[in-house]
Amino acid sequence: MNTFMRWAGFIVVLFIAAPLVIVVPMSLSNASSLQFPPPGYWLGYYRAYFTDPNWLVPTWNSILIATATTILTMALVVPATFALVRHRFRGKGFADLMMLMPMAVPHIVMAIGYYSYFGQLKLVHTHLGVILAHTCLSVPIAFLVLSANLKGFDRNLERAAQSLGASPTRTFLHITLPILRPGLIISSLFAFIQSFDETVVAIFISGRDAETLPRKMFDSIRQEADPVIAVISTLLFFAVLIGIAAPYFVGALRSRVPKPSRSAGAH
Amino acid sequence: MTSYLQLSNITKSYGHFTALDNVSLSVDKGEFVTFLGPSGSGKTTTLMIIAGFEKASGGAVEIGGQSISQLAPHQRNIGIVFQNYALFPHKTAVENVYFPLQMRGVNRSQGLRRAEDMLSLVGLKGFGHRHPKELSGGQQQRVALARALVFEPSLLLLDEPLGALDKNLREQMQIEIKRIQRSLGVTTIFVTHDQSEAMSMSDRIVVFEKGRIEQAAAPLDIYHRPRTAFVATFIGESNLIPATITNAMTKTADNPTLGPFDYAGGEALSDGQNVTLLIRPEHIKLSRNPIEGRKNVRMKVETIVNYGDNALVIGRAGELSMRVRVLGADVVIIKEGEECCISWTPEAVFVITK
Repeated sequence: MNTFMRWAGFIVVLFIAAPLVIVVPMSLSNASSLQFPPPGYWLGYYRAYFTDPNWLVPTWNSILIATATTILTMALVVPATFALVRHRFRGKGFADLMMLMPMAVPHIVMAIGYYSYFGQLKLVHTHLGVILAHTCLSVPIAFLVLSANLKGFDRNLERAAQSLGASPTRTFLHITLPILRPGLIISSLFAFIQSFDETVVAIFISGRDAETLPRKMFDSIRQEADPVIAVISTLLFFAVLIGIAAPYFVGALRSRVPKPSRSAGAH
Repeated sequence: MTSYLQLSNITKSYGHFTALDNVSLSVDKGEFVTFLGPSGSGKTTTLMIIAGFEKASGGAVEIGGQSISQLAPHQRNIGIVFQNYALFPHKTAVENVYFPLQMRGVNRSQGLRRAEDMLSLVGLKGFGHRHPKELSGGQQQRVALARALVFEPSLLLLDEPLGALDKNLREQMQIEIKRIQRSLGVTTIFVTHDQSEAMSMSDRIVVFEKGRIEQAAAPLDIYHRPRTAFVATFIGESNLIPATITNAMTKTADNPTLGPFDYAGGEALSDGQNVTLLIRPEHIKLSRNPIEGRKNVRMKVETIVNYGDNALVIGRAGELSMRVRVLGADVVIIKEGEECCISWTPEAVFVITK
């Protein structure tokens, strides 16, 4: 049984990891379209990606849209989370539900809605339109992460700060915000990734002018299956890998080097 | 000495539920006062009203003759130690202690020096650079205490601060808190539900029950002269015997099971009044035969609980269940199920009218 479970586990891991790993050799391929296994290897498609405006413009669009989405999402979610986690008021249940709604509704349904609605507002094919739509999709994710953090926050810390002479504003700046920082960073990151990754809504409303990277990749794979897609996939894969691994390395470094006393001079 | 902290007719209600009912109390400067009571008795609510985190429905709080009822918590200059310590996890021990000074505009190098001095006072010299999670429960407790004292607060509030510590550490911290409090002379209010903690630490104990103050007096007064039956049972072990005063002049009372006997303590009583008599278990003597000059009662021993140095003998005298505290060496003279004699003097009997 034990051996069987181990093999089953191995196969599951293999299936999950294989699509991630397969893009790496494909990105180094010298074939003229996506092909596995590659007939030969070269770095030409990396050069193509970094020099071709057809790829660089969508990349910039994606970064711009994801950044703006993150800022807008957090500006909405932080106050909303405080209100919904810490206060009881009429209609709170409904408000909770509305916050999470965009996650439950299929993206394709949302996309059709935005396409017709934003069309009338002249927001289709604009950066602003994509940013607004992506913000709606990012809000529930950022809200879930942040509210879990805030629920675990010990309010006695704020009471202690106030008893020690900190006004409510200074309590928020000196105590609440720094302690919630990891939660804020993670929910911002999720908002960013949600936007950077989003394809369905982008296909409907980003158009030529605000074309995002996932949309460009989708178009490309339909038309020419350009191996640059494998290059982008590989780069994104390693970017995420570094993003996940970095905190562990920083943590390991910090715990190994003893922190010098900041008050050493005060003795 | 004039009163320093003054609570006048504090009332707190949540809808129809009255959490505090007309609580009034004066505390002297430098006094160590303990709020004692079961959970939900109103002791913590009173503390939160003093700190400013709860708003009283009525009444006033004054410190040094100034009303503080209208001040926000951060304007009150009151140090608080919470049960879970509430140390800031992102700051080191010394930065935690420096925080109240930082809020008061003390410059960093001078403030950190004062914080280090305070940490030395609570016995944590050299621990300043550690984060709270790198400190033991007792050490965190000391940091919280240093943080609440470093800005020379007009009042120190301790909200069940020893609840999370194990027994040995708790006793050590009781002595430690008392020492620090005395050396700084800060007026202190300590909230607890642990009666032995209250007995050993306080100048005065305030017993809370159902949102009211049952009694406020020195520990030994509370123990020997409880005003109500609740206080008598809540503090220490007790035998409570319902009785009727037969003659208030000669100080005699009567209980149907025990028969007539004399008492010594008690206020103005009248003949025929129904009262409760308190006899502490350690004031009862256990013997084989009646002892001359004492009130003697036959008792059948039901249970003996041994603590080593002493034992609690629980038995039945007619209708009444009686508890007798005997020295460990004396417990060998009797066995469970045997009949014996218990006796006491009139001085051991205290009359409670409520």
